[in-house]
Amino acid sequence: MKRQRLGTVATSAVSVLGLVGMGLVGGLPASAASKVVIEFAASPIANIGLRSHLISMFNSTHPGIEVKLISEPNNTDTYRAQLVTQISSGSTTPDVFMGDVIWPAQFGHAHLALALSRYLPHTFFKRFAPGLVQGASYHGHVYGAPFFMDAGFFYYRKDLLKKANLPVPHTWEQVVSDSKILQSRHLVKYGYVFQGKAYEGLTCDWMEFMTDAGGKVFGPGGKVAIDSPASLKALTFMRSLITSGISPAAETTFQEAQSMNVFMEGQSAFLRNWDYAYSLSQTGKGTKVKGDVGVEPMPTFQGQSWPGYSNIGGWNLYVNPHTRHLKQDLAFIDWMTGVKAQTFMATFGSEIPTNYTVQKSPKVRAQNPVLNIVSKVRLVPRPSGTPAYPKVSSAIYTNINAALAGSVSPAAALKAAAQGILRATHSGL
Amino acid sequence: MTPTVRVSRTVRRRHGGHGGSLAGHAMLAPALLVVAAVTLFPIGYAIDMSLSHVDLGLTGVHLRFDGFHNYSVVFQSPQFWQSLLFTVAFTAVTVVLEFALGLLLALLCKSWVRPRGALMSLFLVPWAFITVVSAELWGYMLNGSYGLMDAVMQGLHLAQGNVVWLGTPTLAAASLMAADVWKTTPFVALMLLAGLLMIPDEIYEASDMDGAGPGATFFRITLPLLRPSMLLALLFRTLQAFGVFDLPFVMTGGGPGSSTQSLSMLAYNAMFRDFDFGPGTAVAVLTVVVVFLMSLVIIAMFRGQLTGTYDA
Repeated sequence: MKRQRLGTVATSAVSVLGLVGMGLVGGLPASAASKVVIEFAASPIANIGLRSHLISMFNSTHPGIEVKLISEPNNTDTYRAQLVTQISSGSTTPDVFMGDVIWPAQFGHAHLALALSRYLPHTFFKRFAPGLVQGASYHGHVYGAPFFMDAGFFYYRKDLLKKANLPVPHTWEQVVSDSKILQSRHLVKYGYVFQGKAYEGLTCDWMEFMTDAGGKVFGPGGKVAIDSPASLKALTFMRSLITSGISPAAETTFQEAQSMNVFMEGQSAFLRNWDYAYSLSQTGKGTKVKGDVGVEPMPTFQGQSWPGYSNIGGWNLYVNPHTRHLKQDLAFIDWMTGVKAQTFMATFGSEIPTNYTVQKSPKVRAQNPVLNIVSKVRLVPRPSGTPAYPKVSSAIYTNINAALAGSVSPAAALKAAAQGILRATHSGL
Repeated sequence: MTPTVRVSRTVRRRHGGHGGSLAGHAMLAPALLVVAAVTLFPIGYAIDMSLSHVDLGLTGVHLRFDGFHNYSVVFQSPQFWQSLLFTVAFTAVTVVLEFALGLLLALLCKSWVRPRGALMSLFLVPWAFITVVSAELWGYMLNGSYGLMDAVMQGLHLAQGNVVWLGTPTLAAASLMAADVWKTTPFVALMLLAGLLMIPDEIYEASDMDGAGPGATFFRITLPLLRPSMLLALLFRTLQAFGVFDLPFVMTGGGPGSSTQSLSMLAYNAMFRDFDFGPGTAVAVLTVVVVFLMSLVIIAMFRGQLTGTYDA
């Protein structure tokens, strides 16, 4: 592979030199022969050079196009702020950008992303796993091409369950009873860690608990329905995880990294996290749980059928409406969501492919236990179909977080969340 | 002490007199134009935006005059009042503490410490830290499950179980204030020390000969003569504290709930997270108005005392 790439570089260098030479000698404008450069903005994916590998694979097979990587901030909100400033002021770059799955409505509404379905044939979108294209749509148009997906997974300590002779819990009630057993036998400090800080991640975790209990954020006709008995059951349960010591008191300050740290330190029996947690727990620096981690779809409440709901995460590819190279942008997106690139994403990077053929391929499923159970998880999206979604989400996570911290009661928090969502969807602050 | 006051008055008169020649203004004009372009234009645009309905369109940002609609949206938002309250409390507590500690440090530094330069450089270490970096450090130290402060508290048997510093509204606000005091006290100390060093030794010798004790010397000589430096430090700190963004953004993300969301964070979130540019700029403009009024009050307070007592 290396030799081959060197070869390509050499030939293209020679051909470029040759063309420049011809241009100079013949008095032809050099630009006629030069490549179209498109800028691809993306935040780091797995910190293993995934983006640059993909780009060099694309560049070497597409002589007329040169994709340039613009590396963006890790923090999704900071990244979004940067894109808004750039694109709303009419910048023609970046041409293509990687963006969160919850952005289509907001970006489509604000003209910050191009409606891809106007330019790509209907058949293009058939390559994606079910449900993904709908999640990338707003008002009948598809704004993002699903690039890689993610979902909530339930990680557990195989060694601890074996010691206590327990099966993998399938209900939240079992998570509680198993935790109590493991904690009382001093096998582990905490039972379950998840994401409880006031930020987007808490909305993801909340969607899972709430949907398991049978609750919804919006009911029929778009009516705000979050303040329901089902939600109250879910929130009371979450708060009880903290008060009973099954989850650490610091849960309310945990993002993915903090919950991952506790789990990798061997201090928690169970963890809710995204796809990458498996390989990180096995190869991450300082991990104490190597070889002891198993993964299953999420549990649910007693009386519901297993598995519980997993929130959909992941990233899409969007096109800047001001781009000057639409044809090349679409060629890049076509390739990035094609079988070759998606297989590489899954096998080299352990990311969940959006391309359905690749997602189902035995070679990819054999890659690691997470990819193997992807087809078993039951997915629930966040209510991101409205352009006001960021405000809706913030009304959810600030109030749920306040209830987890114990500064308001679960009932009061749900009432405040419902009011906040109502204000958000009626152009309030 | 009267001579110093008189000197400063003569200086003022000398500058005020015949300054304004046409050539002078002409030479200043290019610089003033640059200043106008980089400060007045954005301020004007922000005010315009706060009075408009803002549309993000394919051809850029479109403003349509909308009166005070955005302001009424802001005033009806419980988040705004919560942010205002937090920001005012944060400013009041940190400025007062930084002032008291800064003055103490400056006095110690002036009278007792001989290698003054060395100590001053040490002081400046926290201040020289980029706030985002020090906020990350504080966030790590205050982490409720593996943080250093937690270990200290448990080691000293001051707490049973984990203290979740950033997990309850009061503790989170207090932690943010502590982080700010740690970082910015040296700045106040430095400004006050500069003021202290400018007070001529002769005045202290004179008061000594007149038999003034340390208390009288401090309250009747040091403090009054330090007022110009104090005013400057107070203004700087109030302006900065009122615009606090990076500390809560990194350490708490505005949480728990939205209890530590400062006005700047609210404006940022409204604009760049929610794309609510109208209400967002209204929050920003209101922040400027409030901080401007606060500055006027502070200046008025100091002016009264500066001229009133020591002019005669």
